[in-house]
Amino acid sequence: MENTALVGLSRQVALARELDVIANNLANINTAGFKAESAVFQEYLMPIASAGDFGGGDRILRYVQDRATWHDLSQGSTQTTGNPLDVAIDGAGFLVVQTPRGERYTRNGALQVNAQGQLVTSEGYLVQGDNGPIVFQQLDRQISISPDGRVTVMEGNSRQESLRGKLRVVGFGRPGQLEKDGASTFSAAAGQAPQALTNPRLVQGAIEKSNVKSVVEMTRMVEITRTYTQIASILQQQSDMRKAAIQQLADVPS
Amino acid sequence: MRALHTAATGMMAQELNVQVISNNIANMRTTGYKRQRAEFQDLLYEHVRRIGTQTSDQGNILPVGVDLGSGVKTAGTPRIMTQGNLLPTGRDLDVAIRGEGFFKIQLPDGTFAYTRDGSFEMDNQGRLVTAQGNLVQPGITFPTNASSVTINAQGQVSVTVPGTTTPTVLGQLTMTRFINKAGLQPIGDNLFTETPASGTPQDGVANTDGMGDLQQQNLEQANVEAVTEISDLIAAQRAYEMNAKVVTATDQMLQSTSNMMR
Repeated sequence: MENTALVGLSRQVALARELDVIANNLANINTAGFKAESAVFQEYLMPIASAGDFGGGDRILRYVQDRATWHDLSQGSTQTTGNPLDVAIDGAGFLVVQTPRGERYTRNGALQVNAQGQLVTSEGYLVQGDNGPIVFQQLDRQISISPDGRVTVMEGNSRQESLRGKLRVVGFGRPGQLEKDGASTFSAAAGQAPQALTNPRLVQGAIEKSNVKSVVEMTRMVEITRTYTQIASILQQQSDMRKAAIQQLADVPS
Repeated sequence: MRALHTAATGMMAQELNVQVISNNIANMRTTGYKRQRAEFQDLLYEHVRRIGTQTSDQGNILPVGVDLGSGVKTAGTPRIMTQGNLLPTGRDLDVAIRGEGFFKIQLPDGTFAYTRDGSFEMDNQGRLVTAQGNLVQPGITFPTNASSVTINAQGQVSVTVPGTTTPTVLGQLTMTRFINKAGLQPIGDNLFTETPASGTPQDGVANTDGMGDLQQQNLEQANVEAVTEISDLIAAQRAYEMNAKVVTATDQMLQSTSNMMR
């Protein structure tokens, strides 16, 4: 009979995890380049309670287990900012960022220039071009980023455009297997090599907002709290039942 | 439950977002003001089931894992250094910069600060100063009998003295540029100072080396756009409310758990 409590508990633990995922999505609803996550559940068959040899035997118990969270890699809405150092990626692809922990991939295109003139993320990590980092000169002005990632500037009073590098935009065969690494970056699993995209489409002066859909998250949250409460009341009833059984069955007639 | 703390980070981030937006709106009419933007990033993830873990001797690997995030953090509030609109004022000592560069200002302690606010004044000794009385570099002193001040596109300040027909050049305004102007530190009074992030200042004059040119009798307005700020404000407020709802939902779940014990 304890099984009711355990099955209920497994569901409650899974629901609490799902709420954690939703809380993280909603906390990042204004984070540029953030990709929403969803939790996936599977049933977990209890292997022990299997005395099914006699009529009306034990049923196999089914528990719930949270199996996975997956990233929704769909495009977030783009917001025009007019800032020349903002880049949004239209369609698939990631910018490559050099971090102390190795190469990371991001869709957050709110870029900056550091004191050495290098193109960096707001964490100060170098943004990689096709030939190493992109470095601006002291007299550069009017930074322009073309849809295919070429970064050009006007140097000094010159009317000629000078090339400062080409942003490296990469894709993955199975982008769903990327792992989130915090600070709006993803890391690739071992054996998953990034491939350079031949035709990336970058939009300068815009930023990709997070793709969290607030309505979906809110309704899922309501569903979670209601289910959680229902299971709590099932557990309550089961507890009452056991209490009554103990009281009545163990009632010693006087 | 983790969701409570995650939602708290979300509420704190949105509170900061509203703070930044309100400062932008408050400075909508501040000469030479550059708008700020709050930028956010997601926090660490707990990898409960790591992607790519081998699950059997046959080499099966997990195609997806369980990653639990722990909320949001503010990455920074960088300034957006785009050009503001020029507003004609008709005043001789108002100068606006069109393009790169800052005016160089000497602070009372001898150090230098930089500004895009070109609403200059003359002090009692005839020197060219900012509205706070700080000297505009290089020091330019107007003679007492001078009239019709002209500041040309290159920053040359000239006046006409009675008795002569040719204008006298008093000096040329110093302009300074930085490789990373967004890395300058604001110190209030529309002034910025150099930081390790901005790079070293490069002095020069207007219209050379990619420096912008100057427009007399104009002022550069703030680059704050009311529509953008208000729509950002609405988004921030809604995000705050949604995070508050997560707190409520978590609270409800905890309550139903504790109600199980009677």
